[in-house]
Amino acid sequence: MRALFVLVVGLGAPGLLPALAVARRSPVVVFLAPLIGALMAAVAAVIELGLGGSLPADYAAVAVTANLAVIAWWLAAGRSRPQWAGPAREWSVVTVVVVLSCLAVSLNALRSPGIGWDANSIWLTHAMMVYGGHHELLTGLQNVAYQFSNPDYPPLVPAAGALAFTFFGFANLHLAVDMTVLLSACALGVVGTGIAATGSRGHQPARIAAVAGAGAICLVGFAVGALAIVGYTDLLWAAAAVGAVIWGLVLPHSPQALGVAWICAAVASLTKNEGLTTALIILVLIALRYRPLSRPGPAARTWAERVAFVVLPALPGLCWAGLIRRIGVHDAFFRSASTESPLTRAGATIAGMAAHLAVAPVALAVLLAGCWFLRADRQRAQLANPAWLWIACLGSLVIIFATYVAGGLEIHSWLLNSVNRTTIFAQVLLYSEIAIWLVIAVEGAVSRADSEPFTRTDSERSRPQPPVRTTSDQLRR
Amino acid sequence: MGEHSRRIGKRIGCAGIISAAAVTLGLSVHHDLQVTAAALTPASIKQETAALRQEECLYRAIRLLVPKGATVYVNAPRFQPTQRLAELSTSWAVPQASLANAQYRLSLVPAHGYGIVPFPLTGTPPDPAHGQCSGVTLEVRRR
Repeated sequence: MRALFVLVVGLGAPGLLPALAVARRSPVVVFLAPLIGALMAAVAAVIELGLGGSLPADYAAVAVTANLAVIAWWLAAGRSRPQWAGPAREWSVVTVVVVLSCLAVSLNALRSPGIGWDANSIWLTHAMMVYGGHHELLTGLQNVAYQFSNPDYPPLVPAAGALAFTFFGFANLHLAVDMTVLLSACALGVVGTGIAATGSRGHQPARIAAVAGAGAICLVGFAVGALAIVGYTDLLWAAAAVGAVIWGLVLPHSPQALGVAWICAAVASLTKNEGLTTALIILVLIALRYRPLSRPGPAARTWAERVAFVVLPALPGLCWAGLIRRIGVHDAFFRSASTESPLTRAGATIAGMAAHLAVAPVALAVLLAGCWFLRADRQRAQLANPAWLWIACLGSLVIIFATYVAGGLEIHSWLLNSVNRTTIFAQVLLYSEIAIWLVIAVEGAVSRADSEPFTRTDSERSRPQPPVRTTSDQLRR
Repeated sequence: MGEHSRRIGKRIGCAGIISAAAVTLGLSVHHDLQVTAAALTPASIKQETAALRQEECLYRAIRLLVPKGATVYVNAPRFQPTQRLAELSTSWAVPQASLANAQYRLSLVPAHGYGIVPFPLTGTPPDPAHGQCSGVTLEVRRR
């Protein structure tokens, strides 16, 4: 209950206004607000390390600045703000209730207060450092006696834990684990509401399938990321990255979807190092899909757009990575040269990763069947080409594969300890892909002909139609 | 191929995708329910609660037996069970990589009849003031 209080009051409340500004009345707001709060706490931890101060003071400064900026934008944008295009309020409520209920089933496991190895040696230790203020954080990360704790890891989870300890003290060390698990649940909630949104323009059976898929993916997430319940953070970065893919590379073009995708990518980049690399891949793909790089215009503007679309959402994560190297901290995986041949490492890595990607053949079969039978239905739903999602998935797997092959640790024990976690992103993404095709297939089965258009959203029906500004028009401006 | 055949083909495709998706997602959901149920057995909850209480006892024992800001050396720092002492010292004492730089040496003594691996956990009530934490005792030696 204490962790829930911190999630709602400490993270959700400061993140609510930015979440509403980005996602408007979408059900994703419920899950996005705490993630934005955690993002602001992570930025505060970056400031704490780089400039000084303590987490509560820096967090207050970041939260106030962000909220004032949102209010200023809200007032300045006025009527030119993009209009809400989404399902009716009752569908939003149903989506939130189903997703929360499914998350609650998995979160029930928190009644057993286990703390995993990494949760202790990395995340709880770092949370205590962040809690201690600038000097404690700086000297702690530089202290060679803490090398076992991967001091280069990003600060989002430790910052959330430290914030919880600021509220309630250290009477219960499991509080930090609870925060990590609740944030992972929020990230899965963003994925779930994204899947629900794929059916929001369809007939009622498709909407029901979409909401069911949204609930299922929340349970599936905790199934493939089972260690999340004892405080491992891999599910958090993976689910946030999947959220970025769904909102940025699957759902129809819209400023809201783009904003949600950027926030998810920023959360992934500040959670773990592999989250940063995956977020960068996703952000480049989003930039290509939304085409700021190929839009005509002055060179300076084109460059500014490149910065905005690729670097800006990853800026806090890149700042942390730069800061951490500036203070002389390096990751543990490339310190020593491997004694094994690249071929041995590559073979072991392929076998290790394949063992955790049993869902891939099913997802591939569903993709092929979907592209063969339902391509027109997918286009009518205005969903992006599935190639974007698969490129993001393969890109992340290639980076992780290369890390295993180029790294210095003994490959078999390294894989044994980590490959079940480094593949969570690919697994959740492929399950999400299956859920999305499920929604399209249900819509395809109930629609009478290929030419039948997708029904308009409820809010579009209740609104006078012309002139409707399309989202692509808005993006071209 | 006529329009009728094409529609039938599409229906079959839809049915195939729906079936594959339902089975795949359903199996994974079932797996999650099993994992959650396994974590919630009374024995599992009791074991995890006892382990947490032991860890919190060690956290408090360090704060009661070591002066704030003291430099400490954790005996066998690369040994996973004792590594926990460095973790739990954070924000109170300053772990050192070398014994020569430390004011205090911290080690864990298992209860009589137990080894340190697997990490001992007994039903003894925790007593952090004396460093006794349900199967292990925190030993603090000034150098």
